[in-house]
Amino acid sequence: MGWALMALVTLGLLATIVLQILYKTEVDTIGFETWRPVVYAYVLWGVAIGIGQVLTRGEDGQRALFLLPALLFTIAMVIFPTLFGFYIALTDWNLSSFSGRRFNGLDNFWQMLADPYYRNALINMVLYVLAVLVEYVVAFGLALLLNAQIRARKFFRVVFLMPLMLSPVAVSWMIGKSLMEYRFGPAATLARHLGWEDPAFFSNPITARISIMLLDAWTFIPFMMIMLLAGLQAMSREVLEAARVDGATAWQTFWQVTFPLMLPVSVTAVILRIIFKLKLADIIITVTSGGPGGATDSVSSFIYREYRDRSNVGYGTMLAMAYLVIIVVFVTWLLKFASRFVRNVN
Amino acid sequence: MRVGLYDKLVRAGATRRDILKGAASMAAIAAASGAGLGALTRPAAAASELRSKILQIPGVGKGQPTDADFQKVGELCLEATKANVKEGEFAGVELTFMGLNNQNLHNVLFRGFLKPWETYTGAKISWIDLAQADYNARLQQSIATGTVDFDIIEMGAPFEGDVCGKGLTSEMPDWVKKQIDFDDLVNYLKPPVGTWDGKQYRVTIDGDAHNFNYRTDVFADADLAKQWKDGGATSEWGVPKTWQEVQAVTKFLKGKKFKGQDVYGYLDAPKPWGGFGFYFLGSRASAYAKHPDDKAWLFDADTMKPRVNNPAWVRAIQDVIDALPSEPADQINADPNTTAFQQFLAGTGSMIPWWGDVGSNVKTNDSSVIGDVTGFSILPGSDDVYNSKTGKWEKLASGPNYAPNCAYLGWGVYVMARVDSDEKKKKAAWSAAAHLGGKDLSIWTAMYPSGFQPYRNSHFDIPEWVAAGYDEAFITSYLKSEGDSYNHPNAAIEPRIPGIFQYYSAAEDILANTFAGKMKAQEGADAIAAAWEKLTDQIGRDKQVKLYKASLGM
Repeated sequence: MGWALMALVTLGLLATIVLQILYKTEVDTIGFETWRPVVYAYVLWGVAIGIGQVLTRGEDGQRALFLLPALLFTIAMVIFPTLFGFYIALTDWNLSSFSGRRFNGLDNFWQMLADPYYRNALINMVLYVLAVLVEYVVAFGLALLLNAQIRARKFFRVVFLMPLMLSPVAVSWMIGKSLMEYRFGPAATLARHLGWEDPAFFSNPITARISIMLLDAWTFIPFMMIMLLAGLQAMSREVLEAARVDGATAWQTFWQVTFPLMLPVSVTAVILRIIFKLKLADIIITVTSGGPGGATDSVSSFIYREYRDRSNVGYGTMLAMAYLVIIVVFVTWLLKFASRFVRNVN
Repeated sequence: MRVGLYDKLVRAGATRRDILKGAASMAAIAAASGAGLGALTRPAAAASELRSKILQIPGVGKGQPTDADFQKVGELCLEATKANVKEGEFAGVELTFMGLNNQNLHNVLFRGFLKPWETYTGAKISWIDLAQADYNARLQQSIATGTVDFDIIEMGAPFEGDVCGKGLTSEMPDWVKKQIDFDDLVNYLKPPVGTWDGKQYRVTIDGDAHNFNYRTDVFADADLAKQWKDGGATSEWGVPKTWQEVQAVTKFLKGKKFKGQDVYGYLDAPKPWGGFGFYFLGSRASAYAKHPDDKAWLFDADTMKPRVNNPAWVRAIQDVIDALPSEPADQINADPNTTAFQQFLAGTGSMIPWWGDVGSNVKTNDSSVIGDVTGFSILPGSDDVYNSKTGKWEKLASGPNYAPNCAYLGWGVYVMARVDSDEKKKKAAWSAAAHLGGKDLSIWTAMYPSGFQPYRNSHFDIPEWVAAGYDEAFITSYLKSEGDSYNHPNAAIEPRIPGIFQYYSAAEDILANTFAGKMKAQEGADAIAAAWEKLTDQIGRDKQVKLYKASLGM
């Protein structure tokens, strides 16, 4: 009974999908105007599979019911779109095109390999990611300060966290486009007082890149800082006291005790921060649009222009998918490398 | 007609139809209201009375209009609507309107204008506000994914290929044409603009051309004139008439002081602006590239082969590269919005091309400091013009070549085809569009900051502007620059082809690299041409050729 039900609905779902594909590819003339009925069929199939599980497997089936909705939802919302995205990446799909979407194999991929703008954005990403190390040093310093016995410690902890609570777009406008504005921005005025004749923060490739890095760092250093601070507070006092009893200087205590003990937390903080960094786009889009001459372009901001301004969906998706693969490979390597590093040091 | 007067007549028992009907009802009304008859027998006078009344809201030079002002204007201009729609006729109708919110204009004004319309008709409008840079993407996505979720759209003519060409818009009913007095439009905005395959779709609410805005005080300054002469210049110090002069003046003004501040010459807008920034290179190029004997200037009309890498366009790109070192230090990071609203209005720079917004803002925008020192003309010309057919530069017997860049062809209000199935909704949508495109309302949007420029023949009546509070010399200069651009025999016309903003956006990215010194002008231009060729193939070359020719009236 249960098996028959599951087989029936599965056949029904497959038939609906095949019918709809044939209709949309104009092979036959029977089908639905939109894909919505396929979604209904999928939901129906999910329900029937659930019932089927209970009928065929009893208590085991009931247990499966707890998992099934989440699984089906993930398939519908994550796995299917990702696979479909890979398909889109293999098509020539310009929203203005008269002929609509066209399969074009690996053309987008070859185009991507020869695309100087994408390459430029990737190189920029390497620089942006390297900047995380500097951010880490600053964050560690701040965490140490806030962990020390200073006046108004709680107040400073909250204050230092504030930038993280701001939306990067708001930061772009308030700081990038107002404070750092060339003509009337207070930061520019201050720079003039300090002797910088033309305080244009976003005109020269190097200053522009540094300015963007600073803006982004200002927003996200608190994130690393708070993680490191939590790590410092979790550290056992006894080890530090032992070091002091042994006559270690503050410098020795830091390098020989605190830093190694903090490595696991540090690695987590740095990796999470790198993942955030790889998504960097909003500040760049708002402040520089990737300029001057692509100096501040990130992969995401480039894809954004390619996809959004030029409605080049197929190629834009290929860029995004390639970036996804690069990120997955890189982060996997990074995690492996990090765990080996931590093991070796300790 | 004044609202109070109208109300009085209606209270006296006359419907709008009666009022217009004829002598019999006239007599009845006259009996009820002696004052009314005078107004009715002089409709032109009544209209001009209404116009002069709305033009005092809030009054030129009395600060920026507020939402209350928009509503007042909308209320006073409801007459035309009342003639075609009964009170409460659209009760229960809900419409969605998609438009822009640039500089807090466009939709922000429409809301106010349509508030009284909603109250009167009973319809309800919900709003989708977009920033200029998001506009194209949002629209294209709606089209491609079949998710048109709006009934009325504020849209520029360049998108007609994408939208009307795909059958997404509703054809304009005849009563709308009458209500908005369609024949009053300036010639270059009449069909083929606003039409597709011979069908009329657009309620025009704006005229667009880049004019040339300059500082009268800078170009009349005796001290600068002396320095100019001392520098060995052979010509007189004055407003540049050609791009060659613009370049010379811009280089001359570098490092000069005026009224104690750095004075700059021309302001370029090199930073990408969602495709719209390309128009600013176009304005520099049109005098070089638009030959009077050839309607095309962006592509070869027969093949869609890009002309953007021909010597004329390359010269324009080179001009930008040459001028940038003489412009403010952060100019490379300035988009057109920055050049007009943060720089020029605030007193930086002495020349920019822009849509007429600069003119309508210098006197009424709160952040403007140059209200009394701005002059206008059509875009500069060029001593020589490139002839694409012969491949040679030519000097015209008539003197410098002028070719105003009729960029964007103005905003319009379009009704989407999805209302067609519901007669009541369709009428409501068209009534709202017609209200926004009304003749009287339009004079107000032309005179106050709205995002819209003069676009009707009736907008060029200088005494009306002077009566509203404009300075005669100023407004004559402004209107002349607009009118001369629209009506210029060698105007460079925007191609209304699908995907035009993709061409512009692709070009912007490459130009940004070229201006930053990563490529030479010719290399950048060649890269743009290659990208455009690819796009044309992707979109469909044969159709593009056909539509390009149609858009140029060839």
